[in-house]
Amino acid sequence: MERLAAQLGRAVQGKPSEVQRVVTCVVAGGHLLLEDMPGVGKTTLAEALARACALSFSRIQFTADLLPADILGAQVFHSQTATFSFRPGPLFRQLVLADELNRAPPRTQSALLEGMAQGQVSLDGETHPLPSPFTVVATQNPVDFSGTYPLPDSQLDRFLVRLSLGHPAPDVEARLLTTRGAASPLASVEAVTGPEELASLRAFAAEVKLDAAVAEYIVRLARATREHGDLERGASTRAVLALGSAARAQALWEGRDFVTPGDVRAMLVPCWAHRVLLRSAVQGVSARDEAAHLVEELSRKVAAPR
Amino acid sequence: MTRPLRLRLVLRDLAAGAAFGAMAVSGQLPVWALAVFLLTLVLALCNVRLVARHARLSALLLLVAAVLLGLQLTSGAMNAVVAACSFAGLIAAQRMLSAPDGAADGQTHLTGLLMVAGGAALSGDMTYALCLIAFGVLASLSLALGVVEAAVPDGEPVPVRAVLGPLSGGVAFAVAGAVAFFVLFPRLNWAMVGPRSAPGLGAASSAGFSNTVRLGGAGTIKSNPRVVLRATLTPDPGRDALDAYWVGRTYDTFDGQEWTNVIGALQTERQITLRPASDTLLHQRVELLPAYGGRTLIALESPSRLGNALAHTPTGTRNSTVQLQGGSEVRFTLTAPSYTYEAYSLPPDAKAVGSLALRQPEKDQLLALPEHLDPRVAQLAARVLQGEKEPLAAARKLIAYLQRDYAYTLELAGNSEDPLADFLFVRKAGHCEHFATALTVLLRTQGFSARLATGFFGGARLDGAYIVRAGDAHAWTHVLVPGRGFVTVDATPPSHRTSQASALLEKVLALYEAVEARWRNSVVDYSFRDQFELANALVRPPRQPAQASTRSSRLPPMRAWLTAAAVAFVVWRVGRFLARRQKRAPRMEATRFLDRVDAQLARARVPRFEGESLEDLTTRFARDGHPLALALVPLTRRYLEARFGGRALREGEAEHLLNTLRRALEAEAARRVPKAAEQAGPTARAS
Repeated sequence: MERLAAQLGRAVQGKPSEVQRVVTCVVAGGHLLLEDMPGVGKTTLAEALARACALSFSRIQFTADLLPADILGAQVFHSQTATFSFRPGPLFRQLVLADELNRAPPRTQSALLEGMAQGQVSLDGETHPLPSPFTVVATQNPVDFSGTYPLPDSQLDRFLVRLSLGHPAPDVEARLLTTRGAASPLASVEAVTGPEELASLRAFAAEVKLDAAVAEYIVRLARATREHGDLERGASTRAVLALGSAARAQALWEGRDFVTPGDVRAMLVPCWAHRVLLRSAVQGVSARDEAAHLVEELSRKVAAPR
Repeated sequence: MTRPLRLRLVLRDLAAGAAFGAMAVSGQLPVWALAVFLLTLVLALCNVRLVARHARLSALLLLVAAVLLGLQLTSGAMNAVVAACSFAGLIAAQRMLSAPDGAADGQTHLTGLLMVAGGAALSGDMTYALCLIAFGVLASLSLALGVVEAAVPDGEPVPVRAVLGPLSGGVAFAVAGAVAFFVLFPRLNWAMVGPRSAPGLGAASSAGFSNTVRLGGAGTIKSNPRVVLRATLTPDPGRDALDAYWVGRTYDTFDGQEWTNVIGALQTERQITLRPASDTLLHQRVELLPAYGGRTLIALESPSRLGNALAHTPTGTRNSTVQLQGGSEVRFTLTAPSYTYEAYSLPPDAKAVGSLALRQPEKDQLLALPEHLDPRVAQLAARVLQGEKEPLAAARKLIAYLQRDYAYTLELAGNSEDPLADFLFVRKAGHCEHFATALTVLLRTQGFSARLATGFFGGARLDGAYIVRAGDAHAWTHVLVPGRGFVTVDATPPSHRTSQASALLEKVLALYEAVEARWRNSVVDYSFRDQFELANALVRPPRQPAQASTRSSRLPPMRAWLTAAAVAFVVWRVGRFLARRQKRAPRMEATRFLDRVDAQLARARVPRFEGESLEDLTTRFARDGHPLALALVPLTRRYLEARFGGRALREGEAEHLLNTLRRALEAEAARRVPKAAEQAGPTARAS
């Protein structure tokens, strides 16, 4: 994990904690949603991840006219044999970068949904399994930018972690200007692990011990979001499970084989901020910040197990 | 070494007293042993340690006592078990009076255990059990106090009051556990415990039948109260005391010393018919208990048919065939601790006792006399009978004579060349075997056919059945009356045929008897079989033939399910309780540890956010390179492991970590003071 983070750090400079979260998300076996302004290195991060893990990679640029068949694949008629055969679309890769996901119409977004949740694709009554490990890294621009379809809540819930990178610090930006010449930052990223190692890492993360007291803590946090006056809808059961697996992966950073309340708190905002629905009519970036703020406040209010 | 705790010594001595009592209740210990031990106990309780300064002298005295006991043992005046028990009592007394150090304590408890074991070999009375429990409780308390005393540093008072409560709780728990163990653990056969005193019928077991009856041989204890036989009679006589003869076997040959039979084993069958049946037969369903220890079937006089036997072995119940032996003895072919069987007897008042099928050699023996019979015996018989020709009348005359001129005694006569002449002309006192032998031989000298019968006399009513005790063992005479067969005659004085209670104490004894019977049934004679039957009764309905025909469901009854459910529930609750306890204990420890760490940090005024956990604080310090991080990181890691990772803190580890933290905090404070003076500003306390 350290090696993975180091490689990602080469591509995306000045964001060590965000990079750490990305790796945590991948190890936890979840899908990642990067949400930020254009041009802060979302795509670079996703590509660097694919390279560092030596995963088969495809990038789907979501546009307003993208259709489900464009990402899933289609039945193709072979005139010579007079039969139909399935031609897999770009989704059939281990790491899929869904760039600017919220530019695609909801229909296409939903097509991605099944693939993310089930790890398989249904087409014309046939199911086609997706390669393993299958991870979607989606990027999206904040919804108040023009020409976007906001992601449905159900789909947001399927992303384990939502991160925003934010602008790099001024000195990092300055360094970028001086060092980034002809060479792409991705070129310096080396493959430090493979799909097998990633799978074993995931299995390892899944076996991290979650004490009953910590589990109860997560549930209490969920209850607090559900009972919060400013939240229209609190954390779902899937959100609870997601936080559990994210905290498990987070525990690995410290080389622990058990989850502490600190792990839970570290993954709370990235895991849950996009899953709660605010009661107020605030939209876009401010809504996101508001939700993150509320969730973080809860983490201080709900007493951790001692 | 500090002064030993007085209470502990008193408890120890009382425990030894209880252990001695466990032996004494058998009533078999010599009086001098009782006296010596009682004196010792009183002295020890008054804290007079007589032999503390004369250890060697007392050891020498013990040796002398051992030699004396050994001599008594070889001369046959004392039972080996009794001698061993007496000696154990003496050793305990010597130890109790020695200087009270650790070794003496341990040895006193050890001799206590020995005495309890000896008591078990001597008697299985309820009073024994009370003594045993008293010993267990007192000795445990004394030992536990010893442990507490050893843990308290020199010169400090022992917190007796504080520990006695939990100690008593522990002892009560242990007693309850022992009872549960007793009830549930598979039982060993009681016959393995060792020799029990033989009540006048041979030496092998408590009431077992040997192939011979030897006059003046083994000791006779008519007071052995163990139940050997339980019988349900149909028709029920309804009397409280049956006072009937329960015959086991008869003997036809007397050689001057002992009675034997001429014929050995005869046929083996499911059922043996001894006499032709009459119209009114007395049916007996007999249960022979482990205390019986023999293989001979017992039935009321005069048995007609015996059989349908079940042998209850430790591994299960099996059908047993029965074998006819010489002397009208019927034996089980299987060996088992207990049996049940059926017997049919002719009622005692039946006029025509069916003629018994006797083999010719047996018939020939009915008049045989020992080779070297004292001539005075025949003269005596002739003098008493004065030409009486009717066998029954002759027997009555002899009985009247014997009961008038001879005394009943259980004291041993010692070995004698001619025990019969010794009884008739020298001691003029003896027990039932002497009386019965005398009557039989006297009758034979005058040409009346007679034989010796052994078995039991008595039968006390208990819960609708009749019980016979080992102490009811008896011997009497069968005289052959032409046309009637063998008739039972008994020369023993009636008051000594059975062990009888004093009339004054009858009511008290009846109550005691009832309690003791329950004790004996459910404790002393509680066996693997009873356990099996208890389990069986829970699973299967009681055998009721009438119901069995109407309802033939093969499913276990409701209560079997209920019992299973109850047992499962209890097991589940206990398991859950234990699991929770096991999980909770180390966690509570970790949380307590955390409280202490927090308290230390608060005392040292370490700046901390509101609600910031130790984990977050440590992370923050580690990130900022705070000097405290060095101490906090391993401590926090251990706390987290103990609390959430299931790796509890080791013994003393918490102390060690706290000490490290304290030192780090002190160093930090020392570092901060000059800095604060320099800056003249308070450290920011974020909130």
